[in-house]
Amino acid sequence: MKFGLFYELSTPRPFTTENQRAVIENAIEQTVLADELGFSSVWCVEHHFLEEYSHSSCPDMFLTAVARETKNLRLGFGIGTCVPAMHSPIRWAEKAAFLDLLSNGRVEFGTGRSSTWNELGGFNANVDDTKRSWDEYCRVIPKMWTEERFSHQGTYFSMPERCILPKPMQEPHPPLWVAVTAPGTEFDAADRGMGALILSIADVERNIPRIQEYRARIRRCEPVGSFVNDQVAIANWMYCHPDDAFAVQRGDELVSTFGYMAGQTVEVSEAYPANNYSALGLLGSLRPDPNSPDAKKPVASGLCFGDPEHISDTVARWEAAGADHLIFMIQAREHLPQQDVLDSLRLFASEVMPRFSGASRKAAVSA
Amino acid sequence: MSGTPELLYGQRAAASVAVNPAALDTAATETVVIENAEILYVLYEVPMQAALAALPVALHPSIPAIYGMTFVRARDAALGPFELAWCGIACRTGIKPRHFIQAAYSASATAREFFAARYGFACQEAAVSLRETFDRVRGTVVTGDAMLLDVAITDAIPLVGAGALIKYSPALNATRVNGQAALVQLEAAYDFKRVLRGRPGLAAFDGGGLGDAALRPTQPIAGSFAICDLHLMPARFQVDIATPAEAGGASRIQR
Repeated sequence: MKFGLFYELSTPRPFTTENQRAVIENAIEQTVLADELGFSSVWCVEHHFLEEYSHSSCPDMFLTAVARETKNLRLGFGIGTCVPAMHSPIRWAEKAAFLDLLSNGRVEFGTGRSSTWNELGGFNANVDDTKRSWDEYCRVIPKMWTEERFSHQGTYFSMPERCILPKPMQEPHPPLWVAVTAPGTEFDAADRGMGALILSIADVERNIPRIQEYRARIRRCEPVGSFVNDQVAIANWMYCHPDDAFAVQRGDELVSTFGYMAGQTVEVSEAYPANNYSALGLLGSLRPDPNSPDAKKPVASGLCFGDPEHISDTVARWEAAGADHLIFMIQAREHLPQQDVLDSLRLFASEVMPRFSGASRKAAVSA
Repeated sequence: MSGTPELLYGQRAAASVAVNPAALDTAATETVVIENAEILYVLYEVPMQAALAALPVALHPSIPAIYGMTFVRARDAALGPFELAWCGIACRTGIKPRHFIQAAYSASATAREFFAARYGFACQEAAVSLRETFDRVRGTVVTGDAMLLDVAITDAIPLVGAGALIKYSPALNATRVNGQAALVQLEAAYDFKRVLRGRPGLAAFDGGGLGDAALRPTQPIAGSFAICDLHLMPARFQVDIATPAEAGGASRIQR
């Protein structure tokens, strides 16, 4: 099991220079510590116009800053939006390759298509085409990295022959991922030989079928890249503290804060009826029981809140479910003091991570 | 960075919210089914500041601010045939999308009384029309000689398979429940038979006549037309108007 950090860069009102800078600088400080503690990756979302919820409009720039402050952390685009109104695939290929060189080959390239009217409407994107444009982007970007010169006549993107530069450092190219929120997207990931970056604020058991189906399906994939990335990463939450009840309470506050922010966004399915957005998105998992909206929703058992023992149990269940990575959100709108976040990372690294390291596992098996 | 963060609530004082004086019928228990109901549902973006000014503190806005126009036509129902229209601002209680209703209209006295008693709609008498023609689905609201609202969808395409549904945001009305002012939610379920999505267009929009001139549609989002069996169930939840959204939320109506 590998562990990483996941950043939305949620920002409290008012959006002052002080508040905005603090969010970014605190996040970078956390990644530097995480690198020293042995975490394996940092991922950064791309979002636009999502007030409070995410001010991370330029994940490539955040990851570049992290790259220059760290040595080992893998640097994940979580995700780059593959929608023509927002990005050309050329620019994604260039940015990811450039960062790969800057970071000595540490890029993980996540892809997706956005699920909010805030973003797609804000860019005047064609909502009906996002799944198809995402598919085309996934197929051309690896070729831009691996072919000396590239040309393409497609549906959503065309270009004459050019040498797209720079080329990435990793051979043959950085691993490819897909953000998986709506049910069924794990099939899209598997069919294309891409890693599944599953956004889950739910119980472990609810994710077991989709992980199993992903594993079964990817065996028959036709990879869009030059190799199959058959990894499953779960984007999750973590707050670790010696006092289990206190940690669970703080974790609940983080999720509630996240829900408040996410709730104000407009999911595509709320505003624009479309076949490619008919499934319930991330917000569904945050909503209370429709038959009892005044009832407090319990903290999902898959979230890593608690003392080291409690979290270790949760991580073990994720591992048994087939997850390869747990990627943690550790803050929400700066709800927690920075020192508490850093202390949580240290406690997790000292008390939980060793139980899931490869060396520990080998020793356990040998014994 | 320190202190309590600012949160985005509606800015309207609870005392200035127009509350339907008709009391909610908390004794109602039966579900009324309207077979083959026709529903036109059109969404536009509106200026955020106008939405914030119109929403009470009990509600979060949606971002971006959205204005919804809904028309319902029942050709043959237990209430008799009726056409009903309502307009509202997209909002949140907790994280569930709802529409805070600004105005509602019907020519049918029976429908006005039913929707007021069951869900707190403060329906005004007006000529409401919902018609599907060869190239559009059009909804109008006329009071006297004044065209308050004339909205249509064109270039409609059918939505099929798993996508053949509309996720309506339930209407939320300011009304009186057990003697207290409260926001009450339309409690409805839909069995869809036919669903179209089209490009919205406004031929007339009298903001002042509809209750708030500042709520000026700016950007069309989408419109839909559906034929469905509409299940109107007893209202279940209420929201206190005066309690800020972060501390409030929905609670069960005491019967």
